[in-house]
Amino acid sequence: MATVQLINIKKVYPYVSGEKKSNKKKGAEPEKKINLQITDEGVVAVQEFNLDIADKEFIVLVGPSGCGKSTTLRMIAGLEEISGGELYIDGKLVNAVAPKDRDIAMVFQNYALYPHMTVYNNMAFSLKLKRLPKDEIDRKVREAAEILDITQYLDRKPKALSGGQRQRVAIGRAIVRAPKVMLMDEPLSNLDAKLRNEMRAEIIKLRERIDTTFIYVTHDQTEAMTLGDRIVVMKDGYIQQIGTPQEVFNHPANLFVAGFIGMPVMNFFDAKLLREGEHYFVELGGHKVHLSEDKCARLAEKDVPSQDVTLGVRPEHTELSKDGVAAKVDVSEMMGSSVHLHLTAEGRDIIIIVPTVDMENIPRMGDELRFSFAGKVAHVFSKEDGRNLEY
Amino acid sequence: MSKQSGAVNRKRGLSDNTKGMVKLTALRVIVYAILIFLSFLCLFFFYLMIINASRTHADLQKGFTLLPGGNFIQNLVNAWNDASINIPRGMLNSLIIALATAVLTTYFSALTAYGIHAYDFRGKKLVFTFILAVMMIPSQVSAVGFVQLMNKMGLHDSYIPLIVPGIAAPVVFFYMKQYMESVLPLDLVAAARVDGSGEFRTFNTIVLPLLKPAIAVQMIFSFVSSWNNYFIPALLLDKPEKKTVPIMIAQLRSADYSKFDMGKVFMFILLAILPVMIVYIILSKSIIKGITAGSVKG
Repeated sequence: MATVQLINIKKVYPYVSGEKKSNKKKGAEPEKKINLQITDEGVVAVQEFNLDIADKEFIVLVGPSGCGKSTTLRMIAGLEEISGGELYIDGKLVNAVAPKDRDIAMVFQNYALYPHMTVYNNMAFSLKLKRLPKDEIDRKVREAAEILDITQYLDRKPKALSGGQRQRVAIGRAIVRAPKVMLMDEPLSNLDAKLRNEMRAEIIKLRERIDTTFIYVTHDQTEAMTLGDRIVVMKDGYIQQIGTPQEVFNHPANLFVAGFIGMPVMNFFDAKLLREGEHYFVELGGHKVHLSEDKCARLAEKDVPSQDVTLGVRPEHTELSKDGVAAKVDVSEMMGSSVHLHLTAEGRDIIIIVPTVDMENIPRMGDELRFSFAGKVAHVFSKEDGRNLEY
Repeated sequence: MSKQSGAVNRKRGLSDNTKGMVKLTALRVIVYAILIFLSFLCLFFFYLMIINASRTHADLQKGFTLLPGGNFIQNLVNAWNDASINIPRGMLNSLIIALATAVLTTYFSALTAYGIHAYDFRGKKLVFTFILAVMMIPSQVSAVGFVQLMNKMGLHDSYIPLIVPGIAAPVVFFYMKQYMESVLPLDLVAAARVDGSGEFRTFNTIVLPLLKPAIAVQMIFSFVSSWNNYFIPALLLDKPEKKTVPIMIAQLRSADYSKFDMGKVFMFILLAILPVMIVYIILSKSIIKGITAGSVKG
């Protein structure tokens, strides 16, 4: 149980000999390789990372591969040196404190169980190093095993366990220490879909029982949405948005967040934002939609003028209508309770989700139809920098 | 029509299958023949040594035979009681040097390999290349300087120059490094650090047990090469009570005509390989594991 503060955290991987020269030749301008920034100092993996994590909060760092989320977690754990900024755990500056003295525990993606030790010894390892009395170690290990339902496997070696059981042991090894902060680095990524769903539920239950601060890294937005009190969406080493799952879903800060969170992904269109006094409209394919009162108020407050925008509408926020935007059906996917229609509309490939209730005929490939959306679910993003114009 | 063609197809299938079986059997026969030949090459000389150890010097002069002689015990007694050499003492000396070298070489090579594998530091590539470059230099090149240095340091007739330099073994280091890459995920080291383990404890309690097969392989290789080492010990060891087995064998072989007994020499060679065979039998399971390690996903 502890607060965690990250103030202007930065991580730069310096060049190893030889690499720097070849990069310098290309010029002083920072360039991008994959999605990391290359500077004279080295490869910048994380920068300007500011985050206050409250006591017992469950924070999820989410983003695509290479966005710096695992690096950030490893810096919190003390496994990566912090290149700049300050990290506080429970109010104590820990930049130069060794991992073992940070009172944290970590669960790794590949379990990282000691293969030559039994489950019991894997879980007892950290307690033995703390020189706790044998009976106390035994009590703690058995308690943790009980919570995770792995008591029957205590005498087995990790190789005799399934993936799910191994991950339970890895979690057990972490909780047995009652750490101030529990760090989890994509713990469910190696599991199959069914097991992942089960373990996700287990983690939610576990969180209720062990009452500590969690920092969880994932690239799976479903995990982020279901587990986190707050989500930190990252891209290219920068934080894109911090907010509750609801906030991030309903009020994405920019095009990246809007496109990353939500499945299927948000549809984007080239549209026009029109201002008429205090009222705002979006015009798409001759179809004009009045934005909701709160959206209008926010745009008016920022004095946003009429302009070309990128309009974002989630697939589940659209409906078929007689007088909406014209579209042509490319593919129709029957999902049971709903149909996912892949359409071409206004020169873009989009998806809309239509509930099958009250639907007489499911549209087929080549059908032409019209869809519309409400003003409260339309998101307007700047054409220049992709930020949400409301914020 | 379809029934008929089905029957024809089945017939053709059967004949194809028979041909395949014949081909497979022929291939197996060839493979087994090659394996038998290779096994013969490996084992024949052991057999010959045992046969020769049981023959008298006069018999041995007559030439080669596959049948054992009746002088085995006598050769053993002669070799054991030879005044010029002390077999138990020589074997003990060799054992001390070979064991110490094997243990220290594998431990410190693993430690060095771990340093290169698990830590990121400036000049890591350079260090790695330098160690590998050392591998290219034969020990004979530096032997004269080394012996002079040891003499000046007062380490003539000491085991230290035979044990300690062995710690820097680039070949063992390279093997360990490659092995670690296949069996040691760095998250395991990170997990140990988070669990509160210090760097040396992590190496000794987490890393070393994972390297068991590689350690077994390298221990036997180091043991055998140290056990058989003649060149440097011959330059450094003069006192009779310090001499190792290869020096003693050479001494027996170079005995003057009146004392020269080939049966005794073969017997001593037989005795000399016994400890190597024992070490091999003890570690063989791990060796097989070590040689095949990393070939399949574990």
